[in-house]
Amino acid sequence: MENREYIVTAFTENQVGVLNRITTIYLRRKINIESLRVAESSVKGISMFVITAITTEVQIAKVVQHITKIIEVLDAKYYTSAEIITLETALYKVSKSILEPSTSELITRRNGARIVEFGADYIVVELSGSKVEINKFKDELVDHKALLQFSSSGSVIMHREEIDIKY
Amino acid sequence: MGTYNNISGAEALLLSLIEENVTTIFGYPGGTIIPIYDTLYSYSDKLTHILTRHEQGAVHAAQGYSRAKGGAVGVCMATSGPGATNLITGIADAMVDSTPLVCITAQVPQHLLGTDAFQEADMISMTMPITKWNYQITCIAEIGEAIAKAFYIAKSGRPGPVVLEITRNAQVEILEKYEYTKCTHLRSYNPEPKFDEDALHRAVELINSAEQPLLLIGNGVLISKCEKEVDALAKKIHAPIATTLMGLSAIETSNPLYIGMVGMHGTLAANVMTQKSDVIVAIGMRFSDRVTGDIKRFAPNAKIIHIDIDASEFNKVVKCFIGINSDAKVALESIIQLVHKSDHSEWLAESAKHYSKEFDKVIKNSIHSEDEFLKMGEAIDAIAQECGGGAIIVTDVGQQQMHAARYSKFTNPNSFITSGGLGTMGYGLPAAMGAKLGRPDRDVVAILGDGGFQMTMQELGTIAQNHIGVKVVILNNSYLGMVRQWQQMFFDKRYSFTELVNPEFTMIAAAYGIKSEKVSKREQLKDAVKRMFEHDGSYLLEVIIDSQENVFPMVPTGSAISEQICNI
Repeated sequence: MENREYIVTAFTENQVGVLNRITTIYLRRKINIESLRVAESSVKGISMFVITAITTEVQIAKVVQHITKIIEVLDAKYYTSAEIITLETALYKVSKSILEPSTSELITRRNGARIVEFGADYIVVELSGSKVEINKFKDELVDHKALLQFSSSGSVIMHREEIDIKY
Repeated sequence: MGTYNNISGAEALLLSLIEENVTTIFGYPGGTIIPIYDTLYSYSDKLTHILTRHEQGAVHAAQGYSRAKGGAVGVCMATSGPGATNLITGIADAMVDSTPLVCITAQVPQHLLGTDAFQEADMISMTMPITKWNYQITCIAEIGEAIAKAFYIAKSGRPGPVVLEITRNAQVEILEKYEYTKCTHLRSYNPEPKFDEDALHRAVELINSAEQPLLLIGNGVLISKCEKEVDALAKKIHAPIATTLMGLSAIETSNPLYIGMVGMHGTLAANVMTQKSDVIVAIGMRFSDRVTGDIKRFAPNAKIIHIDIDASEFNKVVKCFIGINSDAKVALESIIQLVHKSDHSEWLAESAKHYSKEFDKVIKNSIHSEDEFLKMGEAIDAIAQECGGGAIIVTDVGQQQMHAARYSKFTNPNSFITSGGLGTMGYGLPAAMGAKLGRPDRDVVAILGDGGFQMTMQELGTIAQNHIGVKVVILNNSYLGMVRQWQQMFFDKRYSFTELVNPEFTMIAAAYGIKSEKVSKREQLKDAVKRMFEHDGSYLLEVIIDSQENVFPMVPTGSAISEQICNI
């Protein structure tokens, strides 16, 4: 069974300890969480978890079955990245040396990148896109020894199908 | 709904337990939980508190109490820190064996949380993976809702343990008006899944087409109280019934369709017929590795219909052909109506052939031995003969557990209480104590090894102090017998730290004022067992067993369950 990235989405009550209960299920199977994002969903009081991990489909199916069992979980599902709309937003703190003519097009020709802050000796660039795009930009900045700091949101996702949160 | 005025958190807690029809609490006091114990002093007419000798004894007693009463919620209490952590083994045990518990642990005052205060331990984090739910109560206003949720969650759906941690300040705060309302619904929790009609109809078609059907039943049958429905289905489709270790006693041992326990030490009939069956209806069981043996070679000819209230059990270990997510009783009531009456006489006749083979190779030597030393099977058989299958048998873990599972006789459900999933040594004595308190009308026999007994033998003090009429049988082979057996069979007879030099157990019993007897000869056994049952009150019977005895049949790890070894 092939290892690949799976994205788990879970809708839960916004209560203390739910995060720990969910991550314990990954821990028990020694599955490393690549990214994790929790925020209030469109329904007040209901949180939406988005967790990415690299594992097999057999394993992730069992993980989701067990997440669903948690008392505070209303619904959980897993997807490959092709099955849902995924996006990450990243901030790149970059040395101002990047603005030299020979390298500035790294930013200026990057679709969707925008400078959000000018510091004395740095700039902060924001980019939204797929994980591949986010990482590609990061790698390029590293190659040019320009990246000072990097931070990304983890996967922000949108389901294509209708999501029915039961009450 | 009860309404009370000007009460403390401790009183609110106890009144809530009374509202939930709790009558018995197993526990052990300590510094942080003193306010609750102080209040308990005033409620001793409504709440019986059993002071165990160790918190592990309290939680196992609560487990035994719950299972003897057919799924009533067992309640135990402990103080913060070490008191709470001493409950952990029992909580994990209850989780894997689906036993409903509410475990109340104290915690340091809220303002000291996270400061490494005296006897502060992060019980919520520690018990998260081994509880169905847990919650930290930090103020009096939370008490009612938390307790109501705890009982609802513990006993509904697939039952399990709940831990409620209550900080000291919450115990002593005063509430002007306290109302208790039972919890009957949580929006994120569905304990009564409605089965898919289409899946059920496909299951019925499959059962109707089966030529060698088999019912494989587990603890879920006891939890769902659908023993009669299982029997009715088996009779209608003319199918043999095999049980898991945890499903024992759901079907009367004398039922002609019953073919015994499946798995590592199961009967030849149950194991071979599981491997040959073309349609297995698995009800309330979870395909433990001790049941399946080599998963890849488990039931190779069978299409499996899996009925379980817990959907996460489907395809967890064994791929099921049809999963029916439902309470077993609800699903079976529909299935029984829809299936055709069938005749599988030829298939059923197979079991007699397997039994005959097993009798010659194993059973004869186990219960009708002519060896110099007594065998465990003889002792179990003597108990079964004496009590006629009516007793609740509570076991510890190891060889005596497997012999008890194989040779006990059952006439009533909820009559075999054991640590199935976790395999907790030390479980037997306190669980038997709880079982007797839960069902004082029934004989309760604790079948223990000399190793397991010594893990929790301090509970003889609880038995003596509270006059709990448990019959304690120690099958003493002076070894950690099951480990010794594995060392003999698979580790080149390197008996690494399994021999026990034991104390005189009858003297220990005498020290607690418990009547006792020790036998080592075959001719003494039956009369000794008779005397034990005739004695009014607790009794300890030590039976000296062949130190080299093994449990057979046995499926070695990695083998298919039909590849049973019957002797060395």
